[in-house]
Amino acid sequence: MSAPGRLRDGIADVERGRDVTGPRRVPMVRLLAAEVRWVLRRPRTLVMFGVFALIPVLIAIGIAVSDRPGRGLVAAVAGNGLVLPVAAMTLALALLLPLAVGTAAADAIAGETAHGTLRGLLLAPVGRLRLVGMKAFGVLVVAVLATSAIAVVGVLAGLVVVGAPDGQLVTLSGTTVGLGEALARVALVVAWTVGQLAAVAAVALAVSALTEHPLVVLAAVLAALVVFGVLGAIPALDWLAPYLLTTGWTAGTDVLRDPLPLAGLVESTLRALCYVAIGGGFTVLRMLRRDA
Amino acid sequence: MGPRRTSPRRRWTSAGGPTDFPAATAARVRGARKAFGSTVAVDRIDLDVPAGAVLGMLGPNGSGKTTLIRMLLGLTRPDEGEVELLGRPVPDALAETLPHVGALVEGPGFHPFLSGRENLRRVAATEPLLTGGAIAGAVADALERVDLADAADRRYRGYSLGMKQRLGLAAALLVPRRLVVLDEPTNGLDPAGTREIRRVIAELHAAGVTVVVSSHLLAEVEATCTHVAVLQAGTLVASGELAGLLAAGTGGLAVATPDVELAVETLHAAGAAAHPEGDGLVVTDGPPAPEVVALLVRAGVAVHEARRRQARLEELFARLTEQTP
Repeated sequence: MSAPGRLRDGIADVERGRDVTGPRRVPMVRLLAAEVRWVLRRPRTLVMFGVFALIPVLIAIGIAVSDRPGRGLVAAVAGNGLVLPVAAMTLALALLLPLAVGTAAADAIAGETAHGTLRGLLLAPVGRLRLVGMKAFGVLVVAVLATSAIAVVGVLAGLVVVGAPDGQLVTLSGTTVGLGEALARVALVVAWTVGQLAAVAAVALAVSALTEHPLVVLAAVLAALVVFGVLGAIPALDWLAPYLLTTGWTAGTDVLRDPLPLAGLVESTLRALCYVAIGGGFTVLRMLRRDA
Repeated sequence: MGPRRTSPRRRWTSAGGPTDFPAATAARVRGARKAFGSTVAVDRIDLDVPAGAVLGMLGPNGSGKTTLIRMLLGLTRPDEGEVELLGRPVPDALAETLPHVGALVEGPGFHPFLSGRENLRRVAATEPLLTGGAIAGAVADALERVDLADAADRRYRGYSLGMKQRLGLAAALLVPRRLVVLDEPTNGLDPAGTREIRRVIAELHAAGVTVVVSSHLLAEVEATCTHVAVLQAGTLVASGELAGLLAAGTGGLAVATPDVELAVETLHAAGAAAHPEGDGLVVTDGPPAPEVVALLVRAGVAVHEARRRQARLEELFARLTEQTP
């Protein structure tokens, strides 16, 4: 350990005004970069991305080795590689993607509380509002990267294993669109999926701010998915459907139709934004008031 | 803040001591109270931590030390009362004061999958007083200061309890501070580690940094602190300068002699209060020491040794915490 001299020098530096201009804050970019580095250094995040990259590969292999024609969306992949990423994202959105986002949100606040590291952030100090911003950004990065992993690997696997007739996408409506537009449509699904995941993230972060047990967050996300699924399946509860986040989760496959029907995508995105507002607002309220 | 906040830039560069936070008290608590359900953790405590002091916060487990420290740092909101840190209100001015405060509260908190260095870098990235370019250097310095340089690139997961504690200390010392708060810093440390913590506290003190250290190890506090605050069941039972508290405590003059009976008689006759103790007697009240010795020698008492008895913090602590029902 050092001599008192070094400490004294350091304090003198501060007093002389070196590197110090009164009250100052860390640039937000630095906080976001630190958060993303932390998220991406977590082994489980990387494993998760690997699993997501595997989904389209597995579907592609399944179709390639199967000798009898299947049914539905997966069957549509058989004749057309560019359907693969859309099908894979739609499948993953049902459970796996929300779970991934839930895990990230659980680690983001409840996990940090459990490790005693949230205290460190507040003592630095990172303002409580900026802390929420930093955490939300980290979770969104996970959502974007996980969805993109499916999309990119899906496009590649689709083209390699299944192939595309003349580099064109045959839509479910029977028309064809060029490779460029097909890729644009895949990108649209990625953006739409991230929007839906943002809704999951906002609610998961709110739960994460309430508890110090990361598992509670994951359980809440899972329970919500199951309950929403059940409620959506009961005909007598039809009136509930417009309020359930999961209601529009098949809208991603709309991009496979021609002309592209935007109503479903827009409606589910608006619904997701409502969830973002409610979950986000609750997270901020809770983080501003809580002890740490 | 308010009227006090005039041109921080000029204040920084003015000559002399820490002028940006001109308060003579580094931390100040008035009537702070905090209850968790029906348990009152801190019950209307008033406490001043003078700038430049090393304040030892003592008390049995559950006496409210950590809650009080968490209030100082704005981690817990008091139900009643006011808290000031470096002369500014908590929590309103925390954005300005906390950068100058280093803290190790409730044990070190780090991520197991990151190395010590990566953990510290993450903390450093959030330190307002560190510019982006200064982070790597500050982290390396802090690791060296706590003797963790060799283990810096190992995962935190594999650190021993003592190493974890040192990393926590390194995080508190990442940038030069005005106030350093250490909650039970020697938990899990071996005797050598404990000595090093003491040395760090002494270095901070020498550099003019105010230190608040909570501990249940009395010898440690006695060796390093200038001030003490003793907590018992959420209330402050004593606080002030260590030397003053000890002097006001027991003390007295211990005289080693084989002629105990004669000596006690002689002293009582002279109007002094004395009683046999150990291999001699203790004079608790009476004339100054030289006169007591002269009196005894004239009476023919063989005085082998006479010394002023220094009260130990341990006795003081026992007295303070046991008399409360």
